[in-house]
Amino acid sequence: MALTGVEIFKLLPKTNCKKCGHPTCLAFAMKLAQRQASLDACPDVSEDAKKLLGEASAPPVRPITFGAGDKAVKLGEETVLFRHEKKFVNPCAFAVEIKDTSREADVLKTIEDVLGSEIDRVGQKLRVDAILISNASGDPKALESVSRLVSEKAAGVPVIISTTDAGAAVSALGYFKDKRPVLFGANANNIESMAKAAGSFKAILGVTANGLDELISLTEKAKSLGTEDLVVDPGARKAGGIIEQNTIIRRAAIKKNFKSLGYPVITFAQRDDNMLESLIAVAGVAKYSSIIVLSSVTKWKSLALFTLRQNIYTDPQVPMQVEQKIYKIGEPTPESPLMITTNFSLTYFIVSGEVENSRVPSRLAVMDCEGLSVLTAWAAGKFTASKIAQFIKEAGIENEVSHRELIIPGYVAILSGAIEDKLEGWKVTVGPREANAIPAFLKSK
Amino acid sequence: MAFVIPKETYSGKVYPVTIGTGDNAVTFGGENVLPFNGFEGSTPNKPVIAYEIQDIPPSDWPENVKKPFEAVSGDPVKWAKHCQDTLGARAIALRLTGTHPDRENLSAGDAAKTVKDVLSAISVPLIILGSNHAEKDSQVLVACAEAAKEKNCVIGKAQEANYKTIVAAAMANNHKLIAMSELDINLSKQLNILITQMGFDKERLITDPMSSALGYGLEYTYSVMERIRLAALAQNDATMQPPMVADVGMYVWKIKETQALEADLPMWGDLAKRGVLWEASTAASLLISGAELLIMRHPEAVQAVEKFISEMS
Amino acid sequence: MLIIGEKLSIIAKRVREAMMKKDKGPIQEIAKTQWQQGAGMIDANIGPAEDGGEDLMQWMVTTIQEAVPLPVCLDTTNYQAVEAGLKVHNNEWGRPLINSTSNDPERFPMLELAAKHNSQIIGLTVGKGGLPADAEERAGIAAEIMGRAMEYGVPLEDIYLDPLVLQVATSQDHALKVIKAVRMFQELNDPPMKTVVGLSNISNGCPKHIRPILDKYYLTLLIYEGLTAAIADAHGVAETAKTIDIIMGKTLYAHSYLEM
Repeated sequence: MALTGVEIFKLLPKTNCKKCGHPTCLAFAMKLAQRQASLDACPDVSEDAKKLLGEASAPPVRPITFGAGDKAVKLGEETVLFRHEKKFVNPCAFAVEIKDTSREADVLKTIEDVLGSEIDRVGQKLRVDAILISNASGDPKALESVSRLVSEKAAGVPVIISTTDAGAAVSALGYFKDKRPVLFGANANNIESMAKAAGSFKAILGVTANGLDELISLTEKAKSLGTEDLVVDPGARKAGGIIEQNTIIRRAAIKKNFKSLGYPVITFAQRDDNMLESLIAVAGVAKYSSIIVLSSVTKWKSLALFTLRQNIYTDPQVPMQVEQKIYKIGEPTPESPLMITTNFSLTYFIVSGEVENSRVPSRLAVMDCEGLSVLTAWAAGKFTASKIAQFIKEAGIENEVSHRELIIPGYVAILSGAIEDKLEGWKVTVGPREANAIPAFLKSK
Repeated sequence: MAFVIPKETYSGKVYPVTIGTGDNAVTFGGENVLPFNGFEGSTPNKPVIAYEIQDIPPSDWPENVKKPFEAVSGDPVKWAKHCQDTLGARAIALRLTGTHPDRENLSAGDAAKTVKDVLSAISVPLIILGSNHAEKDSQVLVACAEAAKEKNCVIGKAQEANYKTIVAAAMANNHKLIAMSELDINLSKQLNILITQMGFDKERLITDPMSSALGYGLEYTYSVMERIRLAALAQNDATMQPPMVADVGMYVWKIKETQALEADLPMWGDLAKRGVLWEASTAASLLISGAELLIMRHPEAVQAVEKFISEMS
Repeated sequence: MLIIGEKLSIIAKRVREAMMKKDKGPIQEIAKTQWQQGAGMIDANIGPAEDGGEDLMQWMVTTIQEAVPLPVCLDTTNYQAVEAGLKVHNNEWGRPLINSTSNDPERFPMLELAAKHNSQIIGLTVGKGGLPADAEERAGIAAEIMGRAMEYGVPLEDIYLDPLVLQVATSQDHALKVIKAVRMFQELNDPPMKTVVGLSNISNGCPKHIRPILDKYYLTLLIYEGLTAAIADAHGVAETAKTIDIIMGKTLYAHSYLEM
């Protein structure tokens, strides 16, 4: 069981020296309890306390940094089974497989696709995160030459070397020294030599098993060899098996604190049918995979998977926000009505849906209120007359519409006078309180 | 020490619901575990996908999903037969879009006739959906429920604003019923309670927590569904034990990602594939979170999801 | 337990109209009723009050204190209005309470006011954007607010930590998290930190006939966990508060304890 903030506080020096960057030892202890700070930040903590805290604060799913530099991705650290309980912590990484049997031109093309995969969605930069180089040829030389190519042309992209040949692994890993690659392919036959190879390059070891029992014996073996940074493949390749194994692994780690399964999971989604491959990846994104391996970088596939990852890993406590701007619904003319609401995404989806339903072309001004709903935003001082007036003035809407009428949500009817005072020449109309009354309201206008 | 799989034994179970009649009747629900968690319980029935058709030509559907139905979508009877006979649909969802006052404003009588015509042409189960205009739906669905008497259809959707007449009609004519609320688990439970308080059998209900498209609030539907399913299983909450429907197509085929041309947004890739995947991945996500009945549009998306479902066990 | 009488809120139509017209009658009548029914402080909620907030708060404080011998809880996000209210507050009847500071930088200056005017202050355990996920996060924010308070020179005894009660109708899981937070807050200091809740939030959005029931039972659980104060309608909760005090041995039993 993790320690509470107060229990951790008792083990700290209680000097409030601020060297950790927090105002008090108590505040620091609270951050430690929530795993938002690291004990290393405290220079004065005793060795005994360190040991105690280290054991107690080890997260149920081991945190691992894969790759190095800007493009490194964090894996593991999850604390819950369902996203409504608490935010899923580290979004899964997408890796694309490059077989060492591919022609050089194809390798270069895939590298180019990976480097060009980044898109911007709702303010986040999303991309294919990693490359898996697989030793499909069985020839160490082929693996080495593709590894060299990737290290040169895709510098900085986290890499997984997939082979069961520890000797081949050593020559390939040489190209990714200090880059925190994954060496994938440790099994019952080769785990000693693979662990050794990974250890000498500070690589993360990827173990692969046929089922959970075998997986557990492998992770325990790896731990006894001193290798603790692991990613695990329990073996399933079909949607049902992936969800089942991933669920058991996550549940054992979180509910039973079962350390031998407390590692990030790697899922192999590759299929000949790109559409089906995407859906296998969907299962991995939704249900607990930390790395998902794909067969190709395909734009439409990437867009859907990036979007899903973003949706699933959204913090359920932080309301999703939509961009502050004036949205056009239908094809509004300068005479069309203008409404305003806040940028809580659910508010936006429901209000814009009802406006669409009305089939009255309209403009919907969505104002940044940190994702709060109308009434909450008003009470918190974010959706006030002066802020609304300022937004309307700065949005340049006066050039777009020929009228000067602003429809405000019924819940903030109280603001109508104050807005008119601050927004000269404008008439404020109070709209309905609930979105479902919008169609009738707009049609009667 | 041997590893013991940490299994959950749930006290609750989702009601199985059978729709349609005769050999082509289908059953969904009935499981006592979360989706794809067959290792700790039983999932006797696989999810069912219904093809969505309309009473009027789909002028508001984007080109890519209109095209596969080009030859048949002028006539709901032909359209329904095409889905059943050519595409192998296990169920059909007829949306009475034309009855909406802002569309063709077709009458309840017109709608009832369409329902009768479609029913006489197909043998698979029929889901009869209004135009989502609370007032009009309560007239239209009452007439359609009568027209489809004893065909064991699904009538939808009863909402807080109009459930009374629709529930009464579904009850009088022996149909199943979809109860819809807007992304709020508490309101969803409340509506199910109100409906059963009218004497409607809870084992004939289907819950619609409201769908949303990938990228457009999907996480809300996803989590509401997971919470409903957990309430049904872990808390043995009978009011949350009806199976759930995900009305996927109508939410997916109106967003930008299923319509923007690749020429305008090259980073988004091929539009045709993108649209299909958008519908399929939205559907797959909602299957994983708990839906047992899906309403979808594009044949390729349906096929992809069918393959996904076949990998459930 | 301290009841902070909550009926004087701009959200209520009658109060809003009285505020607009500066009509003392209804304000004083409500304050008196709250006092008679057991409130030990009166909450004056003037909303964001962008325009004329300073005048309005001063008018509210003096109007209330003319009628009842109680301190006032100054409830607004408007910094100037709070300061104006503090200036005219009559401390003879107890020290005022600022509602509130939080982990949102916009609300930090409230601590400055508390230090400058020797006022008590509520520390609402929310940050900028997003609600706290659980009791632990609330306690984490509380610790940050406490650290900041010390920097500003506000003694920890003057802080009431508020875990932010959410509506049970939409955020059911938070009902229990708030109770847990009330317990955790007290452990953050010795002597224990004071705690306060906006009680009626729990039943916001629920049918009218259910609201008092939810409020009453929720308050019971909170008091059992050591809650110091509640912003609530004294009329609704005095009976609960008095009865729990009897059960927990905090007041001496007499047949007429409810009338005291």
